[in-house]
Amino acid sequence: MARRVLPVVQTAGLCKTFKDFWRRPRVEAVKNLDLEIRPGEVVGLLGPNGSGKTTTIKMLLGLLYPTRGRISLFGKAPTDVAVKSRIGFLPEESYLYRFLGAQETLDHFGRLFRLPTHVRRDRTERLLDMVGLRHQASRPVGEFSKGMARRIGLAQALINDPEFLILDEPTSGLDPIGSRQIKDLVRELGRKGKTILLSSHILADVEDVCNRVVILYGGLERAQGDISALLSQKDRMQLTTPVLTPETLAEVRRLLHEREQADVLHVSHPRDRLEAFFLRIVEEAQAASVGTSGARGGGVVPEFLKKATQADAQEVVESLIAAARQPLPAQVESRRERATGEPIESGREAARAVIDELLGVQPAPAAPEVDEPRLPVEPAPRPAEAPRAAPRADRKVIEELLGGTPPGEGEGPQKEEQP
Amino acid sequence: MSVVWTVARQLMAECVRMKVAVVFVLLLALLLLGLPFAVQKHGPLTDAVQSFLSYSLSATGLLLGILTVFLARSLADEMVNRQILVVMAKPVPRWQFILGKWVGMNVLNVVFLAFSALVIYGAVYYLRATHPPVDEELDRTRLAEEVLVARQAVQFRLPDFEAMAEREFQRRLEVGAYDDVMDFDAAKERQRLAKRVEAEWRVVGPYEVRVFQFENVLCDRRPESTLQIRYKTEVYNYAPDEVFRAVWWIGDPEQGTPVYECRTRHIVGRYHTVTVPADAVAPDYTLTVRFQNRNPFAGEPQFRNVIEFLSRDGVEVLFGVGTFEGNLLRLLVLMLCKLMFLSAVALLATTLFSFPVACLVAFTIYVLAGTRGFILESLDFASADQAGWFTSAKEFAVHLIRSVYSTVSVILPDFGYYDGVETLVNGRNVTLRWVLEGVVSVGFLRTGCLLGLAMLLFHRREVSEVSV
Repeated sequence: MARRVLPVVQTAGLCKTFKDFWRRPRVEAVKNLDLEIRPGEVVGLLGPNGSGKTTTIKMLLGLLYPTRGRISLFGKAPTDVAVKSRIGFLPEESYLYRFLGAQETLDHFGRLFRLPTHVRRDRTERLLDMVGLRHQASRPVGEFSKGMARRIGLAQALINDPEFLILDEPTSGLDPIGSRQIKDLVRELGRKGKTILLSSHILADVEDVCNRVVILYGGLERAQGDISALLSQKDRMQLTTPVLTPETLAEVRRLLHEREQADVLHVSHPRDRLEAFFLRIVEEAQAASVGTSGARGGGVVPEFLKKATQADAQEVVESLIAAARQPLPAQVESRRERATGEPIESGREAARAVIDELLGVQPAPAAPEVDEPRLPVEPAPRPAEAPRAAPRADRKVIEELLGGTPPGEGEGPQKEEQP
Repeated sequence: MSVVWTVARQLMAECVRMKVAVVFVLLLALLLLGLPFAVQKHGPLTDAVQSFLSYSLSATGLLLGILTVFLARSLADEMVNRQILVVMAKPVPRWQFILGKWVGMNVLNVVFLAFSALVIYGAVYYLRATHPPVDEELDRTRLAEEVLVARQAVQFRLPDFEAMAEREFQRRLEVGAYDDVMDFDAAKERQRLAKRVEAEWRVVGPYEVRVFQFENVLCDRRPESTLQIRYKTEVYNYAPDEVFRAVWWIGDPEQGTPVYECRTRHIVGRYHTVTVPADAVAPDYTLTVRFQNRNPFAGEPQFRNVIEFLSRDGVEVLFGVGTFEGNLLRLLVLMLCKLMFLSAVALLATTLFSFPVACLVAFTIYVLAGTRGFILESLDFASADQAGWFTSAKEFAVHLIRSVYSTVSVILPDFGYYDGVETLVNGRNVTLRWVLEGVVSVGFLRTGCLLGLAMLLFHRREVSEVSV
């Protein structure tokens, strides 16, 4: 009999009404919200201003009390102190002590989690590295720019290596590099089995990193579901080819018209996303050692956040092997081919590549078929003739296989070309 | 408890980094270091040191009271600037958060009190070394015996005035003094006679002698030790510069002690002291003091008026039981107890109100606690004897205020009662029993009640402001 996994968050009929001085109802901020977040999910909470996102988050954290309804976090009340030690929270603004230095800030919050001294010190340094503020460790947070304070805010949210991370507008105030790093981090943490609730106005951020969204409006839940299911247009297809001559293009059009009685809607050249272009320019500047007083580098996720328990790893392996036994969609296969430049033979081989990546080993040149999922004991040598794929490309493959959308893969707005 | 200390550390860091501590220390240092120069003109060394101690300790108490209330701003700021959202999302029990703030405030109070005490102590010895002497040896001896010491005071045993009045009443009954009195009320007559007998006893006419008996004078009876007789006389219709001359005999020959004769020439209406060897005290630790309203100085006029010893401490014996340093330390503990209470008040007010309102509430309670005894006494005076609630509008108002104030007084300590500054300035012992009473009553019970209430309210309140 399948064991039911305890949801990380479960709300039932959650309502919050703000009252005035005379206890008269003034604003009904959240109405009958039924929300369930299961372990390992990365959920986006969307909604315009005043839709009740932040109120919902504050109720989840026990900072506001519901007027009606129930909340449970890890099966307990949100005011339970033990529950809070499993949560990381980044509020909509960083709300840090202005007089404490960056390092002291992280140390302070580490103390609140009762972390041992050596763990606190180690994590503080690694998190400062991650957010690129190691060189500003002793500078008071009050002197930081909004983006730098945001980075420290993120670091404090991760100091306890939380199982459940709540991020309220995590990319607000951040430069594109910071935004990208946070999105990478969320993806990485999501892959490691962390549960994440992300509230944002920036829809692209949510689309990039979340696998499920909940949309609120006027305190009511208006929609929720898997992002790919919600956004895919089942009645259209997109075909990416090398540059075609006008003759070939005309032939394609004719063929489509003849066989499918359909016309090509748009023909365009794929283009980079502005984010990718910007990051390339900054990387060039960093390579030329141009100085800055702001955040530098960073983006390296500390080991303690990468650590997954044996049980977690086993779960991932099992799920991937199970997925590998199913035939992969053709579209995914073609993407894999495009990313690595090599055709893949089967879904199972792709899964093996993913497992190797997750476990941090180099893939064997010819992976044998495995009936039972087993952790490789030693990394297999890579053949000299097969050029090693760049890590970025491998990560994209993982993201695709895990249902994410790789950035910079021709999915940005396309420039229309008149046929 | 690590969370409590972490929160306390954060408050202390805030106080230091936001320059609050620096500004406060500078102000305090400026005040305390300037005062010795300001009191140079206060006459003899003893008076100058007493003035300095009085001003500096009172100013320290006041400044630390203000600082304590100001430190509660840390909690208010966290709520306004919303750092509380981040902190309360961590595994921090709310009661520990409030306790941490309170601990931080009072660690700072201890540090500032210690700093003040050191400066005051140094300044006293600076004054002692540099004050222009009138009579250097006498000045320093007086300072050592009357100020820089912890002395215990014993007041004389009052005669049984009621028994004296009863004897007089019976005598008058026998002689038929009340035979013609209409509606004679024996009880009222007895009261009137008792007052009259006491008034007569307290008055010493020219050439008359009055004997004061002291018990439990538990001093070191060796002759090299000393004790002081401190007295204050009142005289009706005297000229401002009137000098009276009298003789004191200290000791009881019947008990086998030496008798010391002291001839005094003093101005009326002020406290004076005569010092004698401590072997005047009898082995059973009783002391007999005789006073005669007679001029012992040849060629000087006899004081023609009666001399009265009106107040309860009109004549008392003082003897050393401890050091000035110990006394100062015990006084600081009393001051700390008051600051502990005030910090709990400030935190409680901050959990309920915005910081300006919390400030107002805390300072009002500070003042009310300081004047509690005076206010209760005034309210008693304001009401006519045995007047009911509905006798008049004024009586209703007075009864209402007194009821409210009596209720509040259950939790409000009497800061006036625990003000040991005057005691220390007069070189009297700030007793350990008094200090323990203050610690238990103010530092633990009342502070604990308010702190518990603050924790309860903070636990129940939503820490986030409205955000939709």
